[in-house]
Amino acid sequence: MPAELLKTEGLSVGYGRHEVLRGIDLTIARGDFLGVMGPNGAGKTTLLKTLLGLLEPLAGRISAAPAAGRRVLFGYVPQRESLDLHYPLSALEVALMGRYGRLGPLRRPGAADVRVAREALARTHMERFADRPYRKLSGGQKQRVLISRALAAEPEILLLDEPTNGMDVNSERAIMELLTELQTEKGTTVVFVTHLMHTIERYARRVALITFDGRLLIGEKAAMLEPAVLTGAYQANNKNL
Amino acid sequence: MLTVPFLRNILLAGGLVAVGLSPWSVYVVLRRIVFSGAAVAEVASAAVALAVLFQLAPFPIALLLTVASFLALSRLADSEVLPPETMVGMLYAGGAAASVLLIAKAPRGEADILNILFGNILTVPSSLLWTMAAVFGALSLLQYLAAKEFLISAYDPDMGRTLGLRVGLWNMIFYGSLGVAVAVAIRTVGALLTFTMLVAPGAAALCLTGRLSRAFKAALAFGVLCALAGVVLSYQFDLPTGPTIVALLVAVFALSFAFGRAAQAV
Repeated sequence: MPAELLKTEGLSVGYGRHEVLRGIDLTIARGDFLGVMGPNGAGKTTLLKTLLGLLEPLAGRISAAPAAGRRVLFGYVPQRESLDLHYPLSALEVALMGRYGRLGPLRRPGAADVRVAREALARTHMERFADRPYRKLSGGQKQRVLISRALAAEPEILLLDEPTNGMDVNSERAIMELLTELQTEKGTTVVFVTHLMHTIERYARRVALITFDGRLLIGEKAAMLEPAVLTGAYQANNKNL
Repeated sequence: MLTVPFLRNILLAGGLVAVGLSPWSVYVVLRRIVFSGAAVAEVASAAVALAVLFQLAPFPIALLLTVASFLALSRLADSEVLPPETMVGMLYAGGAAASVLLIAKAPRGEADILNILFGNILTVPSSLLWTMAAVFGALSLLQYLAAKEFLISAYDPDMGRTLGLRVGLWNMIFYGSLGVAVAVAIRTVGALLTFTMLVAPGAAALCLTGRLSRAFKAALAFGVLCALAGVVLSYQFDLPTGPTIVALLVAVFALSFAFGRAAQAV
């Protein structure tokens, strides 16, 4: 059985005093390919940010790499719309940011860091765009650069927030096939959040389903996509339609 | 010209202010804190007026309030109740009103106070030039060494945190350093030139280049060239020095903006 990488026990997440999800017991194993889905506003991004340590849990605990007893190295891929396009950065400069955590304070990236960033761009098939301005890339290309940036951190787990949001079918397929390739060939652990049912259906191996009443159901894809399970999870939303 | 001692000091002061402020202008524009610079400059002026009223040393008071204002603005920018520019506007109005009210009650002559309040590049003493060189030199070194921390803290703070960087601390260092630079510059050249030097060089550079590293170099070049050219032109044509430099900076920005737009259209 693969080693546990991240484990939550009785976790409650939310903003301020507002609890969005509660009682979450989730285990992510090394090499996992987990899709997190649920109704809009159900707390998918809140859960992701709490796992990343960007938000404090309201209750419960998160233990990272409990077997190794040390901090897990995250590769975070935010929603690409959240980044300011006024910054005049090349694709390589964006990918190089992934190295920042490996450098000490006030240390500048060196030639070795540039090499790792270039290799990360190559893994997402973006090496020929290295010197291109990031803001001039297409949506799919930007997403690949952000995945490269996360890979440049040499992470143990990739966490992606809506990686294919707003993309056309071909771009979406290319991104998800890239993530599948990283998982199968390199053993990278992948957790992605999406509101797109067909993305989960086609690519996820395990599914974490957030219900309308703030619970998290976790299981193998086939079981989680049973109509009865989905109807129960999305009940409130359907009533509002 | 350089043989005239006071003119040499003006050229050095202008050049030092440009070296000290213009690279920050790239961050000021990209972080969308242009009017924070204007508001904090007003607070610094009010601090000087306050110090004059109570016969205290103006510079430490201005330094303290300038740094505190930048830090407060950086914290209040996270407010979910009001958009950040509301706080900036209130600080600007409060600082400007306080300056006028404090001057009205100050015991010294108005011209004397205005000189302290708005700076006078023509009367910069040599001792102040050494202070400027030391402060701006140290801040330039910090800016070079902390480039990755300043960049990620503004561009993608969440990513910075997941990488283990102390984003909150680096934002405080950024705003604190900017506050020090503004306090020192205002004492020499006044609020208007300080504000313009904190915006125009970076804005002009960002119009012309698609690379961040080049934007810093171009901003520095624009700032220094405008400062030196402004001093020379004001001497040649008997014009006030500060506004001449400001006019040149605005002209460089306007040309860069037009050129950048034209280049994009091609």
